[in-house]
Amino acid sequence: MSNIAAARIQREFKEVVKCDEAAKCAIKVEMVDSDCMELRGEIAGPPDTPYEGGNFILEIKIPETYPFNPPKVRFVTKIWHPNISSKTGAICLDILKDQWAAAMTLRTVLLSLQALLAAAEPDDPQDAVVAKQYKEDPQAFEDTARHWAQVYAQAPCNNPGCSAKVNQLVDMGFTETASREALSMHSWDVEKAVEYLMS
Amino acid sequence: MASYYDEHDCEPDDSGVHRNLDLLQFARMLVENSDMLDFDLDLDFDGFTLPGERRAPPASIAVVQALPSIEISAKQVQMGKKCPVCLLEFDIHEKAKQLPCQHQFHSGCILPWLKKTNSCPVCRHELLTDDPDYEEYRKQKEKSKEKEARVESLHNSMYT
Repeated sequence: MSNIAAARIQREFKEVVKCDEAAKCAIKVEMVDSDCMELRGEIAGPPDTPYEGGNFILEIKIPETYPFNPPKVRFVTKIWHPNISSKTGAICLDILKDQWAAAMTLRTVLLSLQALLAAAEPDDPQDAVVAKQYKEDPQAFEDTARHWAQVYAQAPCNNPGCSAKVNQLVDMGFTETASREALSMHSWDVEKAVEYLMS
Repeated sequence: MASYYDEHDCEPDDSGVHRNLDLLQFARMLVENSDMLDFDLDLDFDGFTLPGERRAPPASIAVVQALPSIEISAKQVQMGKKCPVCLLEFDIHEKAKQLPCQHQFHSGCILPWLKKTNSCPVCRHELLTDDPDYEEYRKQKEKSKEKEARVESLHNSMYT
């Protein structure tokens, strides 16, 4: 890895560890390997969103050309959000693409992702199914996002209805992940989810 | 053209549908079998831009060459002023390049950035580029913004 990239990441790492948001446990960064090429980020689900109380893990890969090119960031924790792929965790956010600027840091990237959780951009979606639900059935979107945060990001449980439906499909012989995905895609309509799983 | 169809013993198909299907199948084959081919099919769409969001070109070479070099003052060093690109604190009397927006950088830090894109890494203030298409696009964008502002002020003046 080039010197400027490695040296900068070291300095940024210290910045994140010392920052106010880290003290409040809202963001966190850990080194994955010793040469700083790969890091593990963590952001807390913002208050007053379906992600509240959840803890979301990110994979951060630093390119050799950093900071002239943005870090490659992906959600490792599964999440239901219009701008994040529910399958791969890929993120659609302008600052991670053409709007990157060399003065941005790990801290500002993590804070931007937290802001994205609080304010989705359904007109610039990464996951078309989620974006459609977000626009057409906001209640189903909120239930699904909350359920996923509870199952995958350890948010407190407050919607036993979703879990009951997942269990209903598991009892029919489908895997838990597939059942959850099918139900989420079909706004928790059990009949449609079964039809989808059978097709 | 007729001889082509005769030679290959087939009929011309002008519906277009089949040809598109063939293309689709070919594309699928390329994607599915890319690991069997000796090149990597790059499906990373990072370099792909949609109309309306265009990646800004490098800053104009003449403008970059004309950027003033300033000397970092003792006061700035005392305040712990850092280069926003490498995040290292400036040394006293060190030379820094200054952009029109007054942001200052090590020349080794800002020059590679301006070779890539025309805006300040801190505030996105745009420098001129050597790309006539982009300059035209920027002019249009500014014009439409001005127009919007005019409509807005007209609207406000009518309803206040």
